[in-house]
Amino acid sequence: MNPILHVKDLSKSFGGLVALQSVDLKAETAQIVGLIGPNGAGKTTLFNCLTGLTPPTQGQIEFRGNPIVPQFSEGRIRLLKASTLLFFILGWVWVPLFYSLFLPRTFFKVELVLLGIFILGMRCLMVRAFVEFKIWAWSLMFVFLLSDLITGLWAMSHWGTSIALVGAGFPFGYVALPWAIVAVPFSLFFMGLLLSRRVRLLYGFRVSPDALCRMGMGRTFQNIRLFFNLSVLDNVKIGFHGQLKSGFWQTLIRGRSQRQEEESAERAALEALRFVDLQHRTFDLASSLAYGEQRWLEIARALVARPHLLLLDEPAAGMNPQESARLMDLIFKIRKMGTTVLIIEHDMKVMMNLADNIFVLDYGEMIAQGSPDEIRDNPRVIEAYLGGGPSTC
Amino acid sequence: MESLFEQSSLFLQQLVNGITLGGVYALIAVGYTMVYGVIQLINFAHGEIYMLGAFLAYTMVTVLGLPFFAAFALTLVICAVFGILLDLIAYRPLRNAPRLAALITAIGMSIFLQNLALMIWGSQIKSYPREVLPPVFSKAAWTFGEVSLSWLQVFILSVTVVFMILLHLIIHKTRIGTAMRAVSQDKTTSALMGIGVNRVISFTFAIGSAMGGMAGILVGLYYNAIFPTMGYIAGIKAFAAAVLGGIGSVPGAMLGGGVLGIAEVIGAGYISSEYRDGISYAVMIAVILFKPSGLIGRQIGEKV
Amino acid sequence: MPRPQEVNRSQVLIIGLVLLALMLPWLPFGASTNYILRVLTTAVLYMILALGLNIVPGFTGLLDLGYVGFYGIGAYTSGLLAIHYDLSLWVILPLAALNGALWGILLGAPTLRLTGDYFAIVTFGFSELVVLVLRNELWLTRGPMGLPGISPPSIFGHPLTRDWEFFYLIVFLLAVVFVVVRRMEDSRLGRAWFAIREDEIAAQCCGVNLIRYKVTAFAISASIGAMGGAFYAKWFKFIHPDMFKFWESILILCLIVFGGMGSIWGTMLGALILIPLTEILRAVLPQSLFSARYLIYGLILVLMMRWRPEGLIPFESAQAEKAKQTQKRLTGLVGKE
Repeated sequence: MNPILHVKDLSKSFGGLVALQSVDLKAETAQIVGLIGPNGAGKTTLFNCLTGLTPPTQGQIEFRGNPIVPQFSEGRIRLLKASTLLFFILGWVWVPLFYSLFLPRTFFKVELVLLGIFILGMRCLMVRAFVEFKIWAWSLMFVFLLSDLITGLWAMSHWGTSIALVGAGFPFGYVALPWAIVAVPFSLFFMGLLLSRRVRLLYGFRVSPDALCRMGMGRTFQNIRLFFNLSVLDNVKIGFHGQLKSGFWQTLIRGRSQRQEEESAERAALEALRFVDLQHRTFDLASSLAYGEQRWLEIARALVARPHLLLLDEPAAGMNPQESARLMDLIFKIRKMGTTVLIIEHDMKVMMNLADNIFVLDYGEMIAQGSPDEIRDNPRVIEAYLGGGPSTC
Repeated sequence: MESLFEQSSLFLQQLVNGITLGGVYALIAVGYTMVYGVIQLINFAHGEIYMLGAFLAYTMVTVLGLPFFAAFALTLVICAVFGILLDLIAYRPLRNAPRLAALITAIGMSIFLQNLALMIWGSQIKSYPREVLPPVFSKAAWTFGEVSLSWLQVFILSVTVVFMILLHLIIHKTRIGTAMRAVSQDKTTSALMGIGVNRVISFTFAIGSAMGGMAGILVGLYYNAIFPTMGYIAGIKAFAAAVLGGIGSVPGAMLGGGVLGIAEVIGAGYISSEYRDGISYAVMIAVILFKPSGLIGRQIGEKV
Repeated sequence: MPRPQEVNRSQVLIIGLVLLALMLPWLPFGASTNYILRVLTTAVLYMILALGLNIVPGFTGLLDLGYVGFYGIGAYTSGLLAIHYDLSLWVILPLAALNGALWGILLGAPTLRLTGDYFAIVTFGFSELVVLVLRNELWLTRGPMGLPGISPPSIFGHPLTRDWEFFYLIVFLLAVVFVVVRRMEDSRLGRAWFAIREDEIAAQCCGVNLIRYKVTAFAISASIGAMGGAFYAKWFKFIHPDMFKFWESILILCLIVFGGMGSIWGTMLGALILIPLTEILRAVLPQSLFSARYLIYGLILVLMMRWRPEGLIPFESAQAEKAKQTQKRLTGLVGKE
């Protein structure tokens, strides 16, 4: 079975500072995965890369089997963008020239349109193929490009002829109309293609944090980031945002579907608040909560959308022992729901009891991985935490 | 050939005017950019200090009867004090408030000062009386065919250059300049290192405002017109210059001012004089959209 | 599904205000009735404008200094349509709103990626450019000569001329805008805006597409502004580029800062206090000082930011009030079951 999260060879550097260096990480479904390391080891940077807030310098992240960061190097992406642009421009120039130059007068409009659809359809297929199978489609695109270029140059050298064609009573509409009919859908098609995640990744766009959230990734923050001036209920409802669909017009009309959506959001939010035992604060402002309660609220906000993967960034910071015990219970319950939990934590006791699998980061490198027992006895981990080599122990 | 020569001389004349104007924009832009560099605030009221500079010198020359250069020097001092007061009264209480609050305060101050000037000096356009100015100003310093450079332009340009060099020395060679650069990097750490952050900010406001006030006098002389709303357009153009150069960078502001001054004069001459002000808005919007870090500035990112 | 028979405070308030507004023209103010009505029509117009502007800085937390550009676009759309095509107000209003939204999207889509200060500056530049275009494109707008002779609006063929008719019309428009804004605020859309206002990064990680919601907010705000402009042109019957200068934006910003950015009641209260105040100043001050009235607005901005940055009715207390209403509703439902 595929891991729900698979990080391969991920690196991130800020200028000269290397924050992450070819990190590999794997998390299976319904597993609790711990991420530990000394301060400044790059744990939060890794979280930010996973949630799409910071673009990694290099490497691959797959979430639920989908890649979520660009797959090619920057140079290759630039080449791809430039060649697509050229392809487009030449395509736009080539077809009207073709119409005005080569077609005999006896052609009818319908035939012109059909021909145009055929040509552009071929191109659409080609672009599609180019996206799916990369290499051979690339070469095909260059063949097209070359042919466009030659045709274009040839046509330019015969510019007078085409003008003459229009001038000699050949109605301009014969050229312009079919062209508009076929070219516009083609462009729209290509732009639509750019909306798909795979194609956007090819062109070097990351998957944005909000899209990732809608794909089922929820997170909390190390320094609490709540919507402080809103009520607790609204905070959690915003966490449910991706599950709802109503837009401007539905909101304006307030039809039945919109009201049902609102009710479902309310229900989900109340349930999530009950889950973290915060229901008694439902109608208070988030800013009025105590620090520990704010942590619970962040967890509820991340949980309400039923994520496949929950990232917790030091959730036990600032909690007393009873609270962290409750937190552990809660995380076990979350796992029982089938959610994978990736958790950063400094409290070793919590981590050793909780995690199925622990990864250890030090200076941006993944130095160890394994079950809690393996980690406890790993000399490199001990070294990283206590400083100095085994000889000094 | 004749007309070509005429055209090129016209072009040269425009260029000379543009550079003069650009120098003044640079002087104002420096104030924006320094304040932005240190406290990340767009000080909208800076344009008003520029206007006040022009009016203060005018009042001193006409009402108090001071000689021009004395008034010039005194205005710089008053404007510097005024900048410090502005920061003290309006901005310092909001140092830790949301940035929106400080920005709105800056806009409020700008409007307040502008209307205050309107109440004090009235809305008529005023000009420096000829007789109090050094008579040499109106003479041509250098004439080449159709192109001429007046002593006033020479004065403006040389003052600009001198003060720019002075500023560069202050920022890079003095203790307070080092402190300014430190504060612009990180306020908290600078405070921990024993730098009096508020003192540095006051100093920044003082220098920026003195430069702004000086620019006000120079423009008042150049266009021979001062009026309470003059700070509004000039402020925006200078801000555009600061953005063009890269906000937060002093050499950027000089470069931006020069480029914008030339672009504006040439644009007004060759494209459309109605859209003279539009050129700087358009440049500003384009720079912000396509290269927000400006010609020579650093990218400012948000910390997660 | 019958609702619980409970009328809450804000409903009482709304009904009371509507009744008061409807009664107003018939109260015995004697000769000054028309004057009062004109002042109040202005105030209500600014209430609409403030509600529209509030969506961007208040709900979404982005400083928009170019609002008056949309107001101007709406006014000129309305004026030109009325002069050239003699359309009715009920056709003009949606068209103006549409045009406003269009320009809002055109301006917003590329600029809303910018951080706060830069966004403020670009919107400012936009509003100045609008004034420049209005002033210089003589073929379209007649430039500094202005657009005179805009026909008055008519309802069922009856042209509106009297002050109370305009007053009723603008109160009706305010009611429409109020309902729209209220619905936006209390929905998925409004929550997304609030989330952006409070914390963009957290909002993104909750699945809120920043650009889309910012552009939506900007477009809705722009269309409300344009609608206000459309009414203004039809009411005043003369428009001029200088009516849409930057100061107007500041005035409207001042209203919402004073009343409380982000709270609907606050923004309306701000307009209702400050606009009549301006009129009082006009009556009290000599002409020369009246032209410096913006001094007071500047002072209000500075003092409010210093002493009460959240305004008369703060955003938080509006949210707390909303939460209380929700609590009442939910416990009411639970109690019934």
